[in-house]
Amino acid sequence: MTRWTKDVKIKGHGKWLLLLLFFGILWGQLHGTVLAESQEGFSENGEASYENAPGETALDSDDPDFDLEDPFAQELPPTVPDPLEPFNRAMFTFNDRLYFWALKPVARGYRVIAPKPVRVGVRNFFLNLTAIIPIVNCFLQGKLDSGGEELGRFFINTIFGIGGFMDIASDIGYPAHDEELGQTFGVWGIGPGFYLTLPFLGPSTLRDFGGWVGGLYINPLNESLPLELNLSLRAYNIVNDASLRIGDYEDLKAAALDPYVALRDAYYQNRLKKIKE
Amino acid sequence: MKLGSLTHMVWAMMVILAIAIPAWGGEPTDRIKGGTDKIIAVLSDPNLLGDEKADERRQAIRQAVFELFDWEEMAKRSLARHWRERTDEEKKEFVVLYGELLERTYLDRVEGYSGEEVIYTEERIDGKYALVKATIVTKTKQEIAVDYKLKTKSKQWLVYDVSVEGVSLVNNYRTQFNQILMKSSYETLVDRLRKKIERP
Repeated sequence: MTRWTKDVKIKGHGKWLLLLLFFGILWGQLHGTVLAESQEGFSENGEASYENAPGETALDSDDPDFDLEDPFAQELPPTVPDPLEPFNRAMFTFNDRLYFWALKPVARGYRVIAPKPVRVGVRNFFLNLTAIIPIVNCFLQGKLDSGGEELGRFFINTIFGIGGFMDIASDIGYPAHDEELGQTFGVWGIGPGFYLTLPFLGPSTLRDFGGWVGGLYINPLNESLPLELNLSLRAYNIVNDASLRIGDYEDLKAAALDPYVALRDAYYQNRLKKIKE
Repeated sequence: MKLGSLTHMVWAMMVILAIAIPAWGGEPTDRIKGGTDKIIAVLSDPNLLGDEKADERRQAIRQAVFELFDWEEMAKRSLARHWRERTDEEKKEFVVLYGELLERTYLDRVEGYSGEEVIYTEERIDGKYALVKATIVTKTKQEIAVDYKLKTKSKQWLVYDVSVEGVSLVNNYRTQFNQILMKSSYETLVDRLRKKIERP
């Protein structure tokens, strides 16, 4: 009985979230178009006042040495809209502190007691445990070959890789495909909406957050597990992952003039690449 | 000798020349491979190990990096349309400052090198531009996609952008610079750049 009401409650929330997502993305798309249009007008007058004005349009126009003739220049769409920048910056600071004050010290301590092969094994184990996510999303994106490969990977690694601790499949030439729902939405042509920094979760967009919420339904680490076990497993996965990546975020910060903008742009560029693949 | 075969010979020579010209200064992949190998050699040189050799080691890497990258092209592309609004003096100063920041960033990263393998997967040349794709395989078997973009300058291939997992260095700085320039001023940007470099 309690179980039943809980389900209904979650579904109810899901509906609202979906609606919010829909309007958010719609707004994001409109916002993006309006922004792009007004930018053109402004840059012609030479007094662009939008912070998101991409260098591209003016860049190509009269300097023959620039991107125009560069066959490998990326076609950069305008940067991701960021109407919630003050909120996002606050969340960025929150996550930054969380990393330096909590996650990093814990990950460092863990690194001392767990040797690297163990931590790589744990990473593989979680990747294998949640293999259903790339499998489903490959199929949703129409990538039947990749989906089949992911399915094969799951069986090979579960059976011959000691329940997924060893990534045998990668060794024999079947590397993992990193596909989740946010990317699937992107492949379907849904725009990012706008940029979001989520507490604990980090950089995201409206679309990708929607994907994350939807992903909870296919993630085996879900509410069928006791809450404590579920949270502990997730937390352990996060710490384990962090222990293998200490230094990455520090590098980004060290190189950036504005770490918030640097992370936002890096996230967005990386998402574009993943969706394109 | 008939005139016809002479024309053929001239044609053949022209074709050979046309093929040979883009190869000035070595193929793009060789350039990157050469530069990377040089850096790896410095990092694994037993004579340059340890903290007391840090300066010497950095100097050697700096030299290799300097030969591989085109700071001016990178600065130009990172400032994008703001580049033209700057005076020659400012441009010169900016290239130096930005070059220093990039160099330091690069040195910091490269010092963390621990025997990763670099596989060059693709090379495309189009006129004076080239694209080299590589995969770095880390010790934990993670694959990282790296793209180098090159351009010929005085008959030499020089790198003007590096993308790691789709994140282009130049585009990332372009977004940051643009936002600072839109919200504040060029002076603020230079100021922040200077502070970033001064920080030990």
